Amino acid sequence: MENDKNDSKDPLKVNRRHFFSQLSVGIGSLALGSLLIPDLFKTGTPALEGQPLGIPHFAPKAKRVIYLFQSGAPSQLESFDYKPTLLKRMGEDLPESVRNGQRLTGMTAGQSKFPLMPSASQFKQYGKSGAWVSDYFPHIAKIADDICIVRSMHTEAINHDPAITFFQTGSQQSGRPSLGSWMSYGLGNENQNLPSFVVLTSRGQGNSQGLYSKLWSSGFLDSKHQGVLLRSGKDSVLYLNDPEGVSRSDKRHLLDQVAALNKMHHVETGDDEIESRIAQYEMAYRMQMSVPDVMDIKKEPESIIKLYGEDSQVPGTYAANCLQARRLAENGVRFIQLYHQGWDQHGNLPNEMAGQAKDVDKASAALVLDLKQRGMLDDTLVIWGGEFGRTNYCQGNFDPKNYGRDHHPRAFSIWMAGGGIKPGISYGETDEFGYNIVKDPVHINDFHATIMHNMGLDHEQLTYKYQGRRFRLTDVAGNVVKDILS
Amino acid sequence: MGQKNSGRWANFPIFGMTVFLVFCLLFESFLELPPLVGWLGHWHPLVLHFPIVLLLLVCIMGLLGKKVSTLLLTVTTLSALLTAITGFFLGSKALPKGNLLLWHQWLGAAVALLAVIWYWLRQNRLDKRPFASIIQVILIVLVGITGHYGGMVTHGEDFLALPIGNEGDKIPEDPFIYGHVVVPILENKCVSCHNPNKRKGELLMTDLDQLLIGGGTGPAIVANVPEKSLLLQRVHLPVDDEEHMPPDGKEPLTEEEIAILERWIALGASDTLRLTHLKADEPLSTLIKKQLMPQDGNEYRSFPKMADSVLLRLGTDYLTLQRISANSNALAVAVFLPPQYDPSILEGLREVALNIVSLDLSGLPLGPQEMEIVSLCRNLERLELDRTLVNDAGFKGLQGLTKLKLLKAYDTDLTDASMAVLQQMEGLQQLYVWDTQISGAALSQLKDRLPALQINTGIDPGIKESFIQGDTVSLEGTKN
Repeated sequence: MENDKNDSKDPLKVNRRHFFSQLSVGIGSLALGSLLIPDLFKTGTPALEGQPLGIPHFAPKAKRVIYLFQSGAPSQLESFDYKPTLLKRMGEDLPESVRNGQRLTGMTAGQSKFPLMPSASQFKQYGKSGAWVSDYFPHIAKIADDICIVRSMHTEAINHDPAITFFQTGSQQSGRPSLGSWMSYGLGNENQNLPSFVVLTSRGQGNSQGLYSKLWSSGFLDSKHQGVLLRSGKDSVLYLNDPEGVSRSDKRHLLDQVAALNKMHHVETGDDEIESRIAQYEMAYRMQMSVPDVMDIKKEPESIIKLYGEDSQVPGTYAANCLQARRLAENGVRFIQLYHQGWDQHGNLPNEMAGQAKDVDKASAALVLDLKQRGMLDDTLVIWGGEFGRTNYCQGNFDPKNYGRDHHPRAFSIWMAGGGIKPGISYGETDEFGYNIVKDPVHINDFHATIMHNMGLDHEQLTYKYQGRRFRLTDVAGNVVKDILS
Repeated sequence: MGQKNSGRWANFPIFGMTVFLVFCLLFESFLELPPLVGWLGHWHPLVLHFPIVLLLLVCIMGLLGKKVSTLLLTVTTLSALLTAITGFFLGSKALPKGNLLLWHQWLGAAVALLAVIWYWLRQNRLDKRPFASIIQVILIVLVGITGHYGGMVTHGEDFLALPIGNEGDKIPEDPFIYGHVVVPILENKCVSCHNPNKRKGELLMTDLDQLLIGGGTGPAIVANVPEKSLLLQRVHLPVDDEEHMPPDGKEPLTEEEIAILERWIALGASDTLRLTHLKADEPLSTLIKKQLMPQDGNEYRSFPKMADSVLLRLGTDYLTLQRISANSNALAVAVFLPPQYDPSILEGLREVALNIVSLDLSGLPLGPQEMEIVSLCRNLERLELDRTLVNDAGFKGLQGLTKLKLLKAYDTDLTDASMAVLQQMEGLQQLYVWDTQISGAALSQLKDRLPALQINTGIDPGIKESFIQGDTVSLEGTKN
């Protein structure tokens, strides 16, 4: 398995800080050694922290995650959080008692009025659970009994970059490892021929915000845990084929020679990143064989293509990525992260949102159905959601046919399916204005803790020591949301 | 001389206490004991250990032919009498007395009276060999039995029983909430004090009617009203509160156990309610399912031990072996299609065949050689054979996989000929067989034979049709 960098015994790897900390430990233990053994009489569960990586802490519900990230923050009020009061009180100013000092973005802070705006789309109840879903999402409505809608997500961030970074890394400041990297670090690869964390991106017609590779970076974890972005064009990985005249065995020979040189350098310097690089060369070599096969969706029967939509044949669309995600999941990739850009509707919301919904609605639902018929929904956790919600008041001109909504961190909706999540329920509630959470709030830290729990990891025990302290995905917070576990 | 004196002064209390004890025992039903006497009963657990040790000591000394000093015998007899009397006081607080308690009472009295007889023989120099030895042997036996009955009264009837394997009390798939879940919680945490032999606070927790009647301070359970149920009120008190249950020193209820009791009471505290009666979003159903889940590790404890080095040796780029969780000997194995397929890819698994609980062979061109190895994995619970070349002949080998819970065989050439094997898999819960040659009639026959089995035959045709029909997504609406 993997070795913790910090445990290295290489004498060359002692820096000044390390030296002094070791020295103080030595002196301190002479004086206090016999008194300071806090765990000597501790009973109960043994610390999971010290257990080898690559194995779940306890038997997991889910083996893998497919995270359908809707970048830009889709409006909860036009998707899963039905608020008839907004129609009744349409145009009225948002009461201060409801807003209650919530900070606003620079985009609407200057507005003199905050007129309440109802949803342009109609809502109906679906499934045995009677979940409310808007008309923009007719296919997701059909799988209402397979999904768990969480209407009480909340975050602290109010702008895209910190908010999406928070969702991906558990911190608003960048630099921490991504969720997928933590899973790769904790659980390892299931298939040695593919990366354990794969990223696929697509873009809709709506107003988009940027995506940066820092979102799937491994931060301070070993770089082999970083997400591998597969390109959305014809070749998902560039230069996959060996140049003409270079045989597979030549390539093997080349890699062995380079690895030998690298190992010599490693002995000299003790830099662990060299080992990671050797591992990455090997992975790339194996991916030359595995990727073409996995990414070839031409092998899918027509009925499956049609299930995901004709779009799924066009590389780079969300539908194609969903189908790709299922194939990657079948081939043992732990964490498959999709991003669909274009959900930032500050204006022209009804039109843009209808278009965005059309991009993702059918393929997302098809993915859940397809996983289910393959018996994979039980051990695959599917997550659909953005980085925050949108305001219940109108941004810009008040026009029920062409309005906008600003960023809203206090309450928004996501849905999850499979992988140990209870199907057919709606969890959490917002007030009648859809502004504040009144029941069962779920913070991003709680969301992360729950995902980790279902993957068989204790979010308090999976740590990495860096810059003198142990880091967790949930850092110092987070509770598993037990009520949504199946 | 000193011995004689000590003997004489002790005659009076010994005589007095003997008379008192016999009186108490004979006229028990006519006695009404004042509260102070009840308090004296609380001394019983404190003093009872003295006579046990002293009696065993003097009896063994006597049997070994050592001289038992009169002073020692006096102290022993006094402690036995004191214990018997305080025990009687304590017992009188738990009326009516259960069988265990009655046995304990009479055996205890017999021990004390026998000690008195020995003491009397000694005083009259009659404790010669045969008599004394008989008394000593009987005393040793009686002390043992009395002590054991006392232990059963305090710690529950099976406190000394050997730990039983989990197979013994298997909970059915669709348990009664009361009988299979609530009762075991109460038995573990409450019944050792609230049973017919002890009846602390006059409360019996051995059956539902008694819980509804309750004890000295009111009903333990009020159906539908958890907040009025004393049982829950006491459990929720702060741990350092006098009234908190279970009392200091006993194992408290876990959060889940409390939640189960609370929801069960809120739903009417019925003893006919079953798990399947609960709605999907009822929290109780989640709680109970969790309770029913086998404790990880226990289930697989009997599996052969397996070192990490074995896993490292057997794993390849295309074959992944992982423990299902840390420290478990159960393995999950996944095999991926290598560029050059070799039918001996599974050979290494022979060594760990009995450790494998989950085997994923999806998409491999499986032939007879591979299927033979699969048939060796007798502890398999999950088997994925979808999109493989498995056929009816190869499938026959799976007959012995009786622990199988999940089988994926969609997109294969299996036909009705494989039904015989499936029919023998009584533990099977999920079966994926769409896109095979198996007929609908054969599947419905299988369903009749295994009612608990969920057969997946693909996406609901209606939904699938609506997805395919409604495909209006235009290709021009996409860009990179």
